[in-house]
Amino acid sequence: MIPSQHIPLRPVSSTFWQMKSPLPCILTIIGSLLLYFYGATASSEVQEIRLFGWSDYLMPEILEQFTRETGIAVRYTSYDSNESMYAKLKLLNSGGYDLAMPSTYFVDKMRREGMLHAIDKTKLPNYKNLDPRQLDKPFDPENQYSIPYLWGTTGIGLDTDKFKPQYLQAWADLWKPMFVDRLLLPNDMREVFHFALIVLGYSGNNTDPEHIRQAYELLKKLLPNVRLFNSDAADVLFLTGEADAGVVWNGAANRIRREQPSFQYVYPKEGVIIWMDSLIIPKNAPHVELAHRLIDFLLRPDIAKAISEKVGSATPNLEALKHLDPKVRDNMTIYPNDKILSKGEYQTDIGEAITIYTQYWEKLKAE
Amino acid sequence: MKQTNVFKTSIILLLSVWLAVFVLVPNLLVLVASFLGRDESGFIKFTPGFDNYLRLLDPIYLRVFAHSLGLALLTTVVCLGLGYPFAYFLAQFRPSLRPVLLTLVIVPFWTNSLIRTYAIRSLLAAKGLMNNTLIALGLIDEPIRLLYTGSAVLIGMVYILLPFMILPLYSAIEKLDRRLVEAAADLGAGRWRRFWHVTLPLTLPGIIAGCLLVFMPALGLFFIADVLGGSRDLLVGNFLKDQFLDARDWPFGAAASIVLIGLLLLFLSAYAYSLKQFSAEENH
Repeated sequence: MIPSQHIPLRPVSSTFWQMKSPLPCILTIIGSLLLYFYGATASSEVQEIRLFGWSDYLMPEILEQFTRETGIAVRYTSYDSNESMYAKLKLLNSGGYDLAMPSTYFVDKMRREGMLHAIDKTKLPNYKNLDPRQLDKPFDPENQYSIPYLWGTTGIGLDTDKFKPQYLQAWADLWKPMFVDRLLLPNDMREVFHFALIVLGYSGNNTDPEHIRQAYELLKKLLPNVRLFNSDAADVLFLTGEADAGVVWNGAANRIRREQPSFQYVYPKEGVIIWMDSLIIPKNAPHVELAHRLIDFLLRPDIAKAISEKVGSATPNLEALKHLDPKVRDNMTIYPNDKILSKGEYQTDIGEAITIYTQYWEKLKAE
Repeated sequence: MKQTNVFKTSIILLLSVWLAVFVLVPNLLVLVASFLGRDESGFIKFTPGFDNYLRLLDPIYLRVFAHSLGLALLTTVVCLGLGYPFAYFLAQFRPSLRPVLLTLVIVPFWTNSLIRTYAIRSLLAAKGLMNNTLIALGLIDEPIRLLYTGSAVLIGMVYILLPFMILPLYSAIEKLDRRLVEAAADLGAGRWRRFWHVTLPLTLPGIIAGCLLVFMPALGLFFIADVLGGSRDLLVGNFLKDQFLDARDWPFGAAASIVLIGLLLLFLSAYAYSLKQFSAEENH
């Protein structure tokens, strides 16, 4: 968090060890530390922007190309959960970073809490490249504060060598007794409650305590089928034979399929969960102008295509889509058709209800 | 001479300042936060009270604490059972060999414990080394499910924490005065009575130190249960993470941390007390 690489530590006074009392000694150390941090802030006048993003979500080559073309250096700091990103930005009073890439419900939450800087679309000539189908979503109407970066879905995955696909076509099928001790679920409270709420016929963004309780009761009945909760290694778990079916992200599904052709990704009948990571500018970002330039650069078709190909998630960039390898573009795992998309649901901020979810989530695991 | 004194004082002062700023102050902040209330957008609201501590009395959370304590206790018992004979035999080797063997005990520490936990996962996986070997030997036909069970978690915990048990036990057993055991033998005590009445009491400080060194980290470790147990159970560590990150209920999480710190302090003071008892006995 604290910038540290590029400023040399100021030399400590040479009379340091000869000082008679320890107090000036300590003061010198504290003073030089202060100078050091002050120096680091002052030097941000140099054209450098700080990007706060998911790990492995933007390749260094892309940022190097941006630096070559514009002379603006980019420092990429990564995070592994929306929650930790949010906490850090909140504590930095929405400053410190020029760009971040939260997921849907965090865009919503940060937007409502006034943590985001409005995006000036006149500064983004490449905004026109974006797919209108991926714009104006409930978590940020008219994209006032966020620009889509990559998106995907959460659905069901199964190994067809072990289970026939017809037995697992809907979220509700996960409760079937044939899956006892076989399922992998994401270790993610919102996602797990989301599909339980869908099965009950509610929205995954429900805030009614009674509905959340019902979802908890339903999930309790699912527990005997759950072999493990894991969010970061679905691919490894399927490939090592530890999971035979479960709830997975389409990116992971695609990677498993490449290694294990018997694997299949299913869009559940009731409707899939759609996620999206968007670029945002924090309210008190030090370099709003430069942040817009980087966003515009990332919206360029060639750049968006390169990112999507490398990361393996879908691009919301229509121009990039046109240049994609047809094999990728027609891959239903990554690019579901409009019918599936229209039945999908994004996660939005649920406000205070998050504490009710957490309470039931903990109850679910502690019992 | 005076020069070194100045140096010494400054280093001590610097360390104290360091500890105050990076240990004392953060912990005091946690303590203060534990008496305040949750705020949806600002983390903390100024509503002082004991609510957070009262909420911890909910049976779910008591169960989380009980589960963590139980797992830590079981880990400690298994570590002691394996570590004592290990340390005992280690101390029987030629003195020139002992440092080498001790180094071998410590070598795993050079690799991050998280990485070692993942390594255990690949060993125990359905298509892992263990199952493949058993299948190749014809002992089993189908891979057995070793991972994501209570025993996998216990294996992982014991594996990671065993050296913390062996080292203090070894130093206690090595210091043991052999002549006392020989004297007991001369007086007609059998193998078992020699161990029970001489060796064990004399190595007790090592046993207590080892148990504490295993028990305390075991209470806070949660990634082993996550990686090898499949995150199906909630331990205190998971609970704290959930409160701070997912629910953003910092005051409640802070209250739970304070209870945990309180428990650890209790164990530590019990340890300090027992040490005092031992030295008092020795002085008699």
